[in-house]
Amino acid sequence: MAKSKTSVPAVRTKTTWKNALKRDWQLYLLILVPLVLVFVFSYAAYPGLRMVFMNYKPAKGYAGSEWVGLDIFRKIFKDADFLRALRNSLVFNFLDLIIGTPVPILLALLLNELRYPKFKKLSQTILYLPHFLSWAIIGSVAYQLFKPSSGLINVLIMNMGNEPVPFLTEKWHWAVTYLLIGVWQTMGWGTIMYLAGITSISGELYEAAMIDGAGRWKRMWHITLPGIKPTIITLLIINLGRVMNSNYERLAVFGNSQVKDFQYQLAIYIYEKGLGNSQFSMATAVGLFQSVIGVILVLLADRFAKSIGEEGLI
Amino acid sequence: MKKNVLQKVLVLTMTGAMLAGTLSGCGNGGSDDSSSSSSDTQTATEDNSTDDTAADSSADSTDTAADNADAEADAPAADAAAGIDGWEAFGDNVTLKVAVYDRGVEGVPTVDDNYWTKWVQENFGDKYNITVQYVPITRTDVMTDYALLAAADDLPTILMEYDYPKVAQWANDGYLATYSLDDFAQVAPTYYQRMVDNDQLSYTELAGETYFALALRPYYNTTYTYQNFVRLDWLKQVGYNEVPKTYDEMVDALTKIMEAGLCEHPGSPIVANKMVAVGADTQNYPFRTYPLNEEEWAVYGDYNIVPMNWEPAKKYLQASNDLYNKGITNPEYYITDDETWKADFINGKAFNYSNYISANMDFLTSFYENNPDAELAVVPADAEYGGSYGYRTDNPFGMIIGFSSQATEDQLKAAWMYMEWMTQEENLFTMQWGVEGENYNTENGLPVSVADYEGDCKQGFNNNKDYWCVTIESRNAGTIEEIIAATTPTGLPQDFTQDVIDFYNKRLEISTTDYACTDAIYAVTLDSASEYSGTLASLWTEYYDTLTMCKPEEFDAKYEELSQKYLDAGFQAIIDERTEAYNAGNTTKMK
Repeated sequence: MAKSKTSVPAVRTKTTWKNALKRDWQLYLLILVPLVLVFVFSYAAYPGLRMVFMNYKPAKGYAGSEWVGLDIFRKIFKDADFLRALRNSLVFNFLDLIIGTPVPILLALLLNELRYPKFKKLSQTILYLPHFLSWAIIGSVAYQLFKPSSGLINVLIMNMGNEPVPFLTEKWHWAVTYLLIGVWQTMGWGTIMYLAGITSISGELYEAAMIDGAGRWKRMWHITLPGIKPTIITLLIINLGRVMNSNYERLAVFGNSQVKDFQYQLAIYIYEKGLGNSQFSMATAVGLFQSVIGVILVLLADRFAKSIGEEGLI
Repeated sequence: MKKNVLQKVLVLTMTGAMLAGTLSGCGNGGSDDSSSSSSDTQTATEDNSTDDTAADSSADSTDTAADNADAEADAPAADAAAGIDGWEAFGDNVTLKVAVYDRGVEGVPTVDDNYWTKWVQENFGDKYNITVQYVPITRTDVMTDYALLAAADDLPTILMEYDYPKVAQWANDGYLATYSLDDFAQVAPTYYQRMVDNDQLSYTELAGETYFALALRPYYNTTYTYQNFVRLDWLKQVGYNEVPKTYDEMVDALTKIMEAGLCEHPGSPIVANKMVAVGADTQNYPFRTYPLNEEEWAVYGDYNIVPMNWEPAKKYLQASNDLYNKGITNPEYYITDDETWKADFINGKAFNYSNYISANMDFLTSFYENNPDAELAVVPADAEYGGSYGYRTDNPFGMIIGFSSQATEDQLKAAWMYMEWMTQEENLFTMQWGVEGENYNTENGLPVSVADYEGDCKQGFNNNKDYWCVTIESRNAGTIEEIIAATTPTGLPQDFTQDVIDFYNKRLEISTTDYACTDAIYAVTLDSASEYSGTLASLWTEYYDTLTMCKPEEFDAKYEELSQKYLDAGFQAIIDERTEAYNAGNTTKMK
């Protein structure tokens, strides 16, 4: 190694495993810590996944529980409730994605244009706040506002002589309310990444554009947006991986018997049928299914992003 | 190139790990949530004869507590080597783990380490070389907690629950050890004899094996501790001088109350006025036709899984639909929780509210503060809103106790010693009442709890109930009249003692007839029940609301459709399995 370095310094040496390690061993050591943590907390649990092929009973353990092959999966896919939960999860998560992605981008663009720093900071803080509220609080406040006959909003609507709106008690209205509250909760927090992306755009570009006579809209359209395009795509790919997941808390607080048709999503299914009935194998099988679909979606999206000439995630 | 591959592998690993993180999250995701609608069956059967004494400020008794438990004890205890007198300390220290509910209640000592756990250790553990450890069980998530303990090979030696289907599932899942009643009687003769005297032995068996021991639930068959309070002043204003006892009269009275502008949607004591909690609203008992056919009773007459396809359930739903469409039921009832309903009652916006009685009932106190001129009455025991005064008695036992399959022989013996020790009059009395001069005072020779005691020997929730429930379900001292007087609220403009005593006497009278229903208990585990109960409970809350809120003319068609769906979702499987068990003689008999 030393020889090649001294004798032919002009030629780029091929990095071998050994000298890469020798050169950057501190860095590898650093990455080792998080890697070990990930292995311990995520991969070490993988052998436990074999319970999806078992009728797992905690007291009997893995050794004592009965192997049932693919029975658990067969049962799940035949279950009408599972299909309903799957449909709802997919529809609502895609809607969440479609509505939830552009809003923070718009908001970030708007915030970026704010001139007066104090006002900008204040607006940002106010926008971030909902992110820190737990769903339990948001849910109970929402009910106080939107109850059909005693909710604040409906009382106002009725006082104006109109029919009350069943925001949370009729499934189609519920769907809209549920999605919009979701957007409201996440939009402020979502701007952080985009704002960070915008900061990294060189100021010279804007100056040059201004000299060329580009107005505010033109600058946004031709500089800011293209500048944060990689961020947008990365976040989109990451979010696609979550399309199968749903937030149990969010669903639980907005649930009531009249909207079950839409509210019944995979998280509820896992909780009620799996854990509620102590069917751990089933709960795990659905969880595994969710994750596998998530991985596939991420890989496909990444492939797609690359095919249209964008930098992917992987 | 290689670097690129390495990078890819790393990124893939990370992504995989991230997703795996989500996945492992799914494994126990939601286990910490208890959804609002599942305030579940456990609360239903729990505490029925007992939360009463939660905060008593006065208590009469002619005798010390639990004498009924101990009077019978003396005879077998005299039996030479048996019982406490024959116990010897263990040679090697034995660790005894006992489950105790952690109810998440504020203002009570830590459940597994407080004055009373230490007291047990000093007075029981140290004497026999036993280390007593308490294992907290989250009250709202019992089954998951036990499942986690089982998976960790760390089950407590003494497992307890109020609901038979749950302990049956434990037995089926291998949590529980079988044991010999003869050995048990040798170590714990008082406890054993009490089970014999109270006809509880048939409940100790499941599928021909002995699994359980049963704590005592005094006065289980009258359930007088749960009372429904109604606005008598409103009734009087519309021409009823007492609480109407039939459906038609009650509906008439409530309609007039609405017309008189006293209340917009009063609600009724006939059906639920709030969200139907899973399993907690299956009150079709008054809607049944008595006497019941025993097979029907065994197959459908269960509290935990609603028999939606059974005629009484249909009648109940019809009543609910009728009351809703007449505007009596609050149109928002299905998103109204118990606290809101209680607040409505306190604020004079509801006709009735029901709860367990105790010496200090905060909602009644607040009610009279807000409505000083109001007059309340309790719904009498012979009201027949469903066509009869049939009712559900409680289980003829308190806690159902099982012993861990992971326990050693010594631990099992220590567990039995613990139960026997707790059953002894003086130990039980101290656990229930506390230290004299601190937790209680003696007045006229009777113990009277100090209200709001805050000191070193502060008792756990409900006078240490979660510790002594291992032997008995309530703190009963003296005659029933004295017990009722001690558990009826005092210091209010109205005194309900006589009303409750009347209620009790009427119920006692009914309890000897066919109108008092105890649910069937199965001596075999029903796989279909454990598999489908969750699904059916969730469907029932959905269907109940749909059928309540549909138009009366749509009711029949909707009922047909939904009850068929209910059958298909698992109820048919349960009916089949129960019928089979009934025909094989594996159920308790209707009395």
